[in-house]
Amino acid sequence: MTLDRAKEIVTNRHDYAREWKKKTGSKVMGYFCTYVPEEIVYAAGVLPVRVIGSHEAQSYTEPHIYAMFCPFSRDVLAQGLRGKYDYLDGIMIGHSCLHLRQAFGAWMTNVPASFSYYMYTPAKIQSPHAKELMLAETIEFKKAVENWLGRPITDGALDKSIEVYNTNRRLLKQIYELRKADPPPLFGSEAIELVLSSQLSDKAEHNKILESVLKELPQRRNGPQGGNIRLMIIGSEDDDTNFLRYVEGLGATIVADEHCTGSRYFWNETIPEKDRLRAIGNRYVNRPPCPTKDWESRRRFVHIMNMAKEYNIQGAILVQQKFCDPHEFDIPPLKALLEKNGIPSLFLEFDITVPIGQFRTRVEAFLEMLQLEVV
Amino acid sequence: MITAGIDVGSKTVKVVILQDGKVLARSLVLTGFEQGKAAEEAFALALKQAGLSAKDIQKVVATGAGRTSVSFATESVSDVAADARGAVFINPNAKTVIDVGAEEGRGISTDTRGKVLDFAVNERCAAGAGTFTEAMARAIEVKLEDMGELSLKSTQEIPLNAQCAVFAESEVVSLVHAKTSKEDIARAIHDGISNRIAAMARRVGVQNDIVLIGGVAKNKGFVASLKRQLEADIKIPDEPEYVGALGAALIAAS
Amino acid sequence: MVTSIKKYQTRPLDSFKKAMELRKEYYQNVMEAKQQGKLLITGGADSMVALPAGLGDYVFFEGEPYGATISMDPEFSGKCVEAVEAKNFARDMCAYMRNYWGSMFLNKYYFGGEFPKPDFVMQLGFCDTHAKWMQQVGEYMNAPYFGIDMPVGTPGRNVDAKVKYLTSQMNDAIEWMQKVTGRKYDDDKLREAVRNECKSSALWSEIVCYNKAIPAPLEQRLIFSLYIVCILRRHERKSVEFYEMLRDEVKQRVADGIAAVATERCRLMDDSQPPWYFLQLYKYMEKYGVSVVGSHYSFFLGGSLEEMPDGSLGAPKTPDEMGMPMKTREDILRAYALWYVKKPIISQMFALPHFKSETMLRLVKEWKVNGVIFHLNRGCEGTAFGQMENRLALTKAGIPVMTYEGNMADRREFDEAQTLKRIDAFMESLGLSKLEG
Repeated sequence: MTLDRAKEIVTNRHDYAREWKKKTGSKVMGYFCTYVPEEIVYAAGVLPVRVIGSHEAQSYTEPHIYAMFCPFSRDVLAQGLRGKYDYLDGIMIGHSCLHLRQAFGAWMTNVPASFSYYMYTPAKIQSPHAKELMLAETIEFKKAVENWLGRPITDGALDKSIEVYNTNRRLLKQIYELRKADPPPLFGSEAIELVLSSQLSDKAEHNKILESVLKELPQRRNGPQGGNIRLMIIGSEDDDTNFLRYVEGLGATIVADEHCTGSRYFWNETIPEKDRLRAIGNRYVNRPPCPTKDWESRRRFVHIMNMAKEYNIQGAILVQQKFCDPHEFDIPPLKALLEKNGIPSLFLEFDITVPIGQFRTRVEAFLEMLQLEVV
Repeated sequence: MITAGIDVGSKTVKVVILQDGKVLARSLVLTGFEQGKAAEEAFALALKQAGLSAKDIQKVVATGAGRTSVSFATESVSDVAADARGAVFINPNAKTVIDVGAEEGRGISTDTRGKVLDFAVNERCAAGAGTFTEAMARAIEVKLEDMGELSLKSTQEIPLNAQCAVFAESEVVSLVHAKTSKEDIARAIHDGISNRIAAMARRVGVQNDIVLIGGVAKNKGFVASLKRQLEADIKIPDEPEYVGALGAALIAAS
Repeated sequence: MVTSIKKYQTRPLDSFKKAMELRKEYYQNVMEAKQQGKLLITGGADSMVALPAGLGDYVFFEGEPYGATISMDPEFSGKCVEAVEAKNFARDMCAYMRNYWGSMFLNKYYFGGEFPKPDFVMQLGFCDTHAKWMQQVGEYMNAPYFGIDMPVGTPGRNVDAKVKYLTSQMNDAIEWMQKVTGRKYDDDKLREAVRNECKSSALWSEIVCYNKAIPAPLEQRLIFSLYIVCILRRHERKSVEFYEMLRDEVKQRVADGIAAVATERCRLMDDSQPPWYFLQLYKYMEKYGVSVVGSHYSFFLGGSLEEMPDGSLGAPKTPDEMGMPMKTREDILRAYALWYVKKPIISQMFALPHFKSETMLRLVKEWKVNGVIFHLNRGCEGTAFGQMENRLALTKAGIPVMTYEGNMADRREFDEAQTLKRIDAFMESLGLSKLEG
């Protein structure tokens, strides 16, 4: 199965990036949040890879970030301090939460790289003026990349990059579409691995993986069973596929998600227009928002409820990185909204390592409750 | 000049009597509820061992959590100052001193004269390394002194997730329920504590030589975990629990 | 060990009483806004508080100072945070907000009566909390909400685009405010409010510069009592008058050699908001002869500092002093936007840690500071942002540094005995012992 290839990229992400570098002789840029116009980096011939953690207990970040900040931001910084990403030529972040920005700031100061960039991605994406500022910031970012590389990024390269990225988004959405069936042809853990591997690899190559996955899925025999409880996972950054596998081993199938490691990453495409940078910037303003950018009204909940309906969800697991302020704001009203719509939910707080043993009782009790409702 | 250092910890009181850089006597008694009384008792015990009386001691310096309860002390110093001074005396190359006691952990960066350059004390949620190990030993029905040896026989690494002792305890309980071996649980406990202690030490910057002092330094399992965490060698004095008292006695003499 | 040293002359500050009066009057105004026929607007302390001025009389009820005020009352604060936790919100969220929300959920205003119902909610967002805090307020109070997005980003980059972004949003806000209140907007009133705000802030900046003097005429506790006018009412004429009076008084104190701490022999700076319920901390350090002469936080929450021709830090020029046009609404909004884009509390503290580190190093040097105490403040992820990197930068520069963990407005996370013990050890390492008397 080509699905295994996706898993392999996630597991051996450093080897993948190193090999890519060797093969192409080009540079690799790590990005810290999905609110970055990756298309520009890719158009420059540089491989953008998302920086994620390793879920290992560590003490390296203590002098740099203290315990009130989210475990994901600390885990990410630990990777830099331990030299796990020593192949990165540059790093960048778009403005989102303070937690991840702090990890970025500490990385920038303590782990040398020839390029580091913090761009302002508007927070009030609902403002009619957000797109103008996004454009101005995107122009500056492109200039900075060009200066760094000493060569211009051509319109042709941008067009090609947009096309490759849009294809990737379209293919992922097609695969997600298949998950509406009962049984869906793939597990939720596998779907997340598809998205994660997209964030960690060359999209042109990843598109080929997605194409074969799409071909293979209808013939698949060892996928999820029919009649399982249909779950949705919602919340902060979540690359802990071990936990998802565990949940899916208990008679439930995760059929949809709302994470930046999931649907939020690829849900909308760049709509091409003559001003390419504007087109790219608009796409980020229009994407399903992170809670920190979701005000004054709540557009994020609309995306969630649409998904819940289309994917025929029976229950939701709300996953939150401990201390994640943006999600702490959204979870209580979201839980109430789901309940009002007849969708029970279970709230779990994730740390760097996830104590499956401790979650076991709660997850099992939750699934039991859902089973009773189904009967 | 004969001086005494008294370290009133939350669990034990330690006394060192010193003459011109040589230790004449040492004593250790349980602190109990009355710190002042325990200090007197420990002092009397040390004097007896040295064959001296109180008037032979020119200066008494108290340190430790209960240092203000020592009525007969000439003055008092903070535990970080005493620790640094004592550790550098024993190991002149000491740059980082880590003190892990029953209720508190400290990371100290020191210069070659035992002057404190920087220090960090464990935060609220990581408090009580010694007491925590003791409670966990009870939870898995193992004698405290056997915990170290037991954990060295562990065959797998299980991360304890929680930073707070209360939550860590519930994780340990779920490991017990999951029939995890005692060896592996013991190691998980030591890894968990040493992770917090290493984090604290890293705040002040870890530099060789690293000297580990305090009662918990005698726990081999903890030491092995801490070495793994810090990826460095750790020096442990012969009597690690007396280093604070020794430092206080040295400060008294200067 | 007890030491005695020479003492500086000291005397009470006359302006202190006036500051307290202005604060008291403000909370009274919040309560009586409706009776007085004024609009009541709620939002954050860093909001563009002058913006609603064109609508006529109003009171801007600010969330953070109110949350801090509540924290000083353990019983009321306890009830507030419990009310928030009862609604399943996490206890590690902004501690100011939890006090404010709790007071709202309980429908109890701390100074008596019901929680004031705002005519509308207006917020400037630049941390993860600001905009979402007021989203909840708007929904719960059923009040219309307008949020303005403050473009943080790398300081100095894309300034024109940032100013334009803010100006456009403010223009939208003005249209929106007219719609929700049915009032007409008067640009003359806006101009006056913006001028007052910039002037208040510039005066405050001038005042903190007098604290470079040895002995320092002000110390941190006093600074907190004095900056409050600039936080709560900086857009009012009364605020400008107050700071002119204060400036003159502080200037005279420096000329007369008057100290805030008579026994000043060591000057420290601290970082982040203090535990508001334990301001005795400063008194305790005075026993060692320590004067805490200010902080990045206490200087910049109300003020701003710029490089002067001689290379030192000094008060910024107001838009009028810079010769910016202030004629049309566009002019005024542009000047106001630029003022906010340049505010160090936003552009440095919330951007990347090294920007704040660089300024802290300058403050240490120019204010002749001997050491820095970091309150690792679990109550505010904004001011806690980058603190450890700031600490490393100062340590690297050879400046003695101490940290303690706490929470500015939730005393459950503060350990008094442990903190004092640490301060003792820090004083010892600075070679200080307690003074007589």
